[in-house]
Amino acid sequence: MTARISRLLQRRRPMRLAALPVLALAAALPAMAADPIISDSRLFTDDRRVALLEMKIASLQREVNLIEDMKAIERLQQSFGHYISEGMAGEAAALFSDQPQASIEFAQQGVYLGRARIEAFLDALGVKAGSGLLRETPTMQGVVHVAADGQTAKGRWRSLVMAGRAGQDGRWIEGPYENEYVKEGGVWRIAKLHWYTTVDASYDQGWHKAPNPAEGPLPQLPPDRPPSIEYKAFPTFFLPPYHYFNPITGLPVAWDRPASGVAK
Amino acid sequence: MKRSIASAALLIAACTFAATTFAAAPPPPSPELAARIASAADRVAGIDHQANRLADYDELRNLQQVYGYYFDKALWDQVIDLFTDDAQLEVGAQGRFIGKASIRKYLLGLTGGKQGLAEGQLNNHFQLSPVITLSNDGQSARARWRLMLEDGQLGVQGNWGAGIYENEYVKQDGVWKIHRLHLSVKFYAPYEAGWTRATPQLNARYGKSTAKPDQPNKSPMPGWPVAFEAKMHYGNPARDNYRLAPQDAARAGENAAQTVADLEAQVRALELKLQRLRATEDVERLENTYGYYADKSQQDAISALFAENSTLEILGRGVFIGRERVYEYMRRLGVPTDDTLFNHMQLQPVVTISPDGNSAQIRARLLVMFGRKNEGAQWGDGVYENTFVKENGVWKYQSLAGYQTFYTTYEEGWGKRSLPMMSYFPGYPPDLPQSVKYGPYPEVFVPPFHYRNPVSGK
Repeated sequence: MTARISRLLQRRRPMRLAALPVLALAAALPAMAADPIISDSRLFTDDRRVALLEMKIASLQREVNLIEDMKAIERLQQSFGHYISEGMAGEAAALFSDQPQASIEFAQQGVYLGRARIEAFLDALGVKAGSGLLRETPTMQGVVHVAADGQTAKGRWRSLVMAGRAGQDGRWIEGPYENEYVKEGGVWRIAKLHWYTTVDASYDQGWHKAPNPAEGPLPQLPPDRPPSIEYKAFPTFFLPPYHYFNPITGLPVAWDRPASGVAK
Repeated sequence: MKRSIASAALLIAACTFAATTFAAAPPPPSPELAARIASAADRVAGIDHQANRLADYDELRNLQQVYGYYFDKALWDQVIDLFTDDAQLEVGAQGRFIGKASIRKYLLGLTGGKQGLAEGQLNNHFQLSPVITLSNDGQSARARWRLMLEDGQLGVQGNWGAGIYENEYVKQDGVWKIHRLHLSVKFYAPYEAGWTRATPQLNARYGKSTAKPDQPNKSPMPGWPVAFEAKMHYGNPARDNYRLAPQDAARAGENAAQTVADLEAQVRALELKLQRLRATEDVERLENTYGYYADKSQQDAISALFAENSTLEILGRGVFIGRERVYEYMRRLGVPTDDTLFNHMQLQPVVTISPDGNSAQIRARLLVMFGRKNEGAQWGDGVYENTFVKENGVWKYQSLAGYQTFYTTYEEGWGKRSLPMMSYFPGYPPDLPQSVKYGPYPEVFVPPFHYRNPVSGK
């Protein structure tokens, strides 16, 4: 199949052939660059070579720490999902920053500030072992960006939640997170957790027949702030904003709703 | 004249080359420089140690996910090769199986003594939510994963299931293997009933084999809604002071680099190692980014992720060649509208980076939630085998191949129905026909793996 594809490509873009010698040259260049011929040792002394290596090593040190940060954030976010699934509100809340502005926001339930209120909110979900309530929360599809200084990070993730009370109708709840993380005393914490609802629906009937609205505020535990953004879940189209640009074009990606509603 | 100058120059060049190549070793560096080299070498050894631990993490993550893809298709020989000889397996309420031979009996006993699925069987085991903890000496590891599963038999029964793995791994001769596999089944419920009607009796159906266990379960596993313990192997990340790859200062004298040339060679090797670790992150992030754009039919944003001469082949829609055709393909899917759900979840990425760090492959799972309000809803399930290329330092899709496992209506589920292969867009043929002939479930098709078994190399 590869040969057929290259034939088709050539037919479609005859100009590509002209670029081949240039490509061949470009392919040869890295090999040359990897072994520089140092012809004048008076200019390129061992001192200078070691100085260059010391700079390179410093940059490799930053790089390896940033990759470790990505893994630490995965551990943190996945732990949140495990604790919610297992009904461990206190452990989940302990993952958050010490700062009073640490926050959690689910669906249209409003914003809870500070670790104590975050724990109260998670506790109010009522999911505890033996409670008859389920909130199975596998978490996936991470798009994490760590700041160059390794002190803050942002991440988009999603959870497909299987919820419900034993013996009653179940609920599918799906949506992305747009979260923020901060390193405190060398340890990554969640600074802000925002879980959007794309769809919330009856298990028995399906989302096409019985979609629920995005869940609203808990009457028994009013939030500290109203929802940070008002939106509706399926069947209304909504794109929770990305914290990152398109990785190739470097441009923001959005879908603006026309004033009259989404294009049909 | 010109010619003799040229020959003289060549001769001089040749002598210089010979002199630099065969001359006696250069004079030793000054004590001051030697101290700088030694200190730099220690730092290189420290970073290398960190990098190796990060590479271990990636290998462990791949190992469990590779296990999942083999398990899906009941490729038992491949599954068994991932275990140590003294491994133990405990799945749901089925007891414990000790040693490779016993594990083999258990697995074969799931499918009537045969390798592979029979037509009409489904056995999808999603490996999700890893928390991987590497031991201090880097020779063993533990991990918690979540399982989400779709299984059953067309015309008989479909099931949803969920569970928690707490597994142990060991490194033998430089290769990671599964040492203990422990799956607590959270629920296992018929598709029609859903998890809220799960009971211990229904949950206990999961993983029933004709083989007899060597020991009973260590603790009872009734599953939800009964309270049961799926103990966590790790402490809360906010408190437990665990670091995967700490910057370890106490490595002085470990590195034998003595000359500038030694150090240069080591730094170059380390640079490549880190490039490959970084590539794993970048490629997975690109795959996941694709999924979020696909959710919302963002055709411009998606096609920008593809290299100019890339290819795209999804389900039975044929092969589309070149970025412009990728864009046209995406346009066929239409713009997002109210009343339409088009979720494209990307799970379980097995990432492989080429030795030179400039190309990559991924196997990932696709889970689709499709819906139109009042009209209908579907579940869709598939496997990607995608390739990536680094162009001017930026990763792009070189090819995307999405294989259809099944699509089914929400009302019926995979126990009752599998929709036919999605075919060409009407009036809009691809550049090449479907490249691999296969049918969706109930046919048993194993999308080709881009990797060999990480333990056996088979």
